Amino acid sequence: MVKIGIMGLTGCSGCQCEILNCEEAIYRLIEKVEISYFPLAQDNNSFGEFEILFVEGSVTTEEDERKVKEGRERAKFLVAVGSCACYGGVQSQRNDEASLEEMLLAVYGRKELPVKVQKPRAVSEVVKVDYELPGCPLDKRQFVYAVASILNGVKPFFPKIPVCHECKLSETECLTLKGIPCQGPVTFAGCGAPCTASGVGCQGCRGNCDFPNFEEMVEILKKNGLSTGDAVKFLKVFRGYQSKEIKLSEGVVENEKGA
Amino acid sequence: MKRELNINHLTRVEGHGAVNIVIENEMLKEIKLRFTEGPRFFEFITRERLYSEIPKIVSRICGICYVSHRLASSLAVEDAFGVKVTPEIELLRKLLVVGEYLESHALHLYFLALPDYMGYPSAIAMAKDYPNIVRRGFFIKEVGNRIMKLIGGKTVHGENILPGGFKSVPSVDDLKKVQEDLHRVLPEIKATISLFDSLDYPEFNDPHELQMCVEADDPLSFGDKVTLSDGTVFTKQEYELFVEEKVSDYSTAKCSTIKEKPFLIGPLARVNHYADRLLEGTKKQLFLLKNSFPSSNSLHANLARAIEILEFALRGIEITEVLINASPFKGEVPVAPKKGTGFGVKEAPRGTLYHRYSFDDTGRCVSANIITPTAQLQAVIERDLKSLVERSKEASDEELKKRAEMLIRAYDP
Repeated sequence: MVKIGIMGLTGCSGCQCEILNCEEAIYRLIEKVEISYFPLAQDNNSFGEFEILFVEGSVTTEEDERKVKEGRERAKFLVAVGSCACYGGVQSQRNDEASLEEMLLAVYGRKELPVKVQKPRAVSEVVKVDYELPGCPLDKRQFVYAVASILNGVKPFFPKIPVCHECKLSETECLTLKGIPCQGPVTFAGCGAPCTASGVGCQGCRGNCDFPNFEEMVEILKKNGLSTGDAVKFLKVFRGYQSKEIKLSEGVVENEKGA
Repeated sequence: MKRELNINHLTRVEGHGAVNIVIENEMLKEIKLRFTEGPRFFEFITRERLYSEIPKIVSRICGICYVSHRLASSLAVEDAFGVKVTPEIELLRKLLVVGEYLESHALHLYFLALPDYMGYPSAIAMAKDYPNIVRRGFFIKEVGNRIMKLIGGKTVHGENILPGGFKSVPSVDDLKKVQEDLHRVLPEIKATISLFDSLDYPEFNDPHELQMCVEADDPLSFGDKVTLSDGTVFTKQEYELFVEEKVSDYSTAKCSTIKEKPFLIGPLARVNHYADRLLEGTKKQLFLLKNSFPSSNSLHANLARAIEILEFALRGIEITEVLINASPFKGEVPVAPKKGTGFGVKEAPRGTLYHRYSFDDTGRCVSANIITPTAQLQAVIERDLKSLVERSKEASDEELKKRAEMLIRAYDP
């Protein structure tokens, strides 16, 4: 029987919970494959060969790095699930602002911990990743689609169109036009835009869409009440290493305060 | 003779953990519960962020109890800025908590704990022989998920939970659906209580010297004080002064004590404390049980979870009734930042949760402190493990490991 693994690195386990929320899909899946590794949900884990290995969380410790490298060797397809695995996640949002030592001192009052710590990284910064299912958490429909496609030998494909596209489809009123800070124009769609439907601007948890225009996005966010510095921080929350793409023209003061 | 037991990777718990036990000449030499999770620096990454970003960032501490993190941080922001929400917003928050507990407790009971008692490696494996039991777990979880999705916007990490309330609120039709769902889930919850009452809990009665939970009229309310079982009541402002956090030299979770003692938090501490304030409907079920509360058997945390979901579902039905009558109501009150410090305490499914933030006059975070249930549980779990090992010296390594894992899982760290 084909084997599947679900591995958790440093993260909140929210994506693994979302996978457990796929009730009917799990029932059908276990008829066809064996979930041979899933420490959050089972005792009898074997770290053998995997047809697909799903990885949640960012690489933040030496142990995370060892585990994911070993997993890569044993997996035919490695799929990063959630924004931590795909981009580095919330824990990496200040990677470019502070040293690891500074973060450790601020939180633990010491420079070393009982585990060997690294700056949080996306899985693709450590090993080759075949597919990415971003989101905080991942969207369970995309998970089911990805599993079904891979097991049937089809490449899952997720077009990197912006979230705005989904607001149009669901006839959700444009929040940007209403003056609410929203990252829809620069964010990778696929979630069905549930946040904007409840009146909250897109928070960008699925990372960059193709060709995001951050310079213009910052200008729009400024019109909607944020300072340049706050707009950049807002964009950085989930984007991890992708936030390197947030480039502003010269002359824009990054840390200007006051909204 | 030296005997060493190592569980290098605890399974069916949310975090990553390991246990090392050393017994020498029949005497327990060492017990270490190590959380090996990588640090995520929440108290650092919230700095310089606007208050409106805080609940979103810190909700990512936990994907199972994110509602509690979002609410505790929102309460802290509101406390800092002197914001008072309306009774309807407060009720809607409580209904959201009903959803969170149904989901989190059902996940714990059916997917993390039950396989131990039924002799299976997982609920997925159990599903072949007990499909309906597993489906019941899925159903209770699903009802919780629907409530969280409706009010929060998403099942996990809903962004509609903000300081000041909610950007949008459910319609009367939606609230009626929640009420129907809660009515439908009641028999399943009652069956869950019977099931968890009938399990064979290993004898484990080592009274907890100290127990702690949020002090309020009922277990679903948000309070500003915390009660200790020795009679001490302290305010949220005093929390950090009582709950002493130490950085551990073998675990990435900090280790907390009160008055230098480990203390019990979570479902068992809550049911022990609130037993006489439960609704009549819950009390009636309690009366039918063969086990009773207050209990000092840490494994009864599982039964306490089942009782809590009944209590919360019943309260959820009452809340939806009030909200239906109050509809339409406004979901949001204005929030204007000012310089100051705010505190938020809340009962998360695993136990008491504490958030504290200081802001400058533009509402940007200057400093933060978060004390999670896992950090507070480290000391009490170690205390319990010690007592377990001392009682089970005759047990084989395999058996002892199994009992230790069951005990740790009961805490759901």
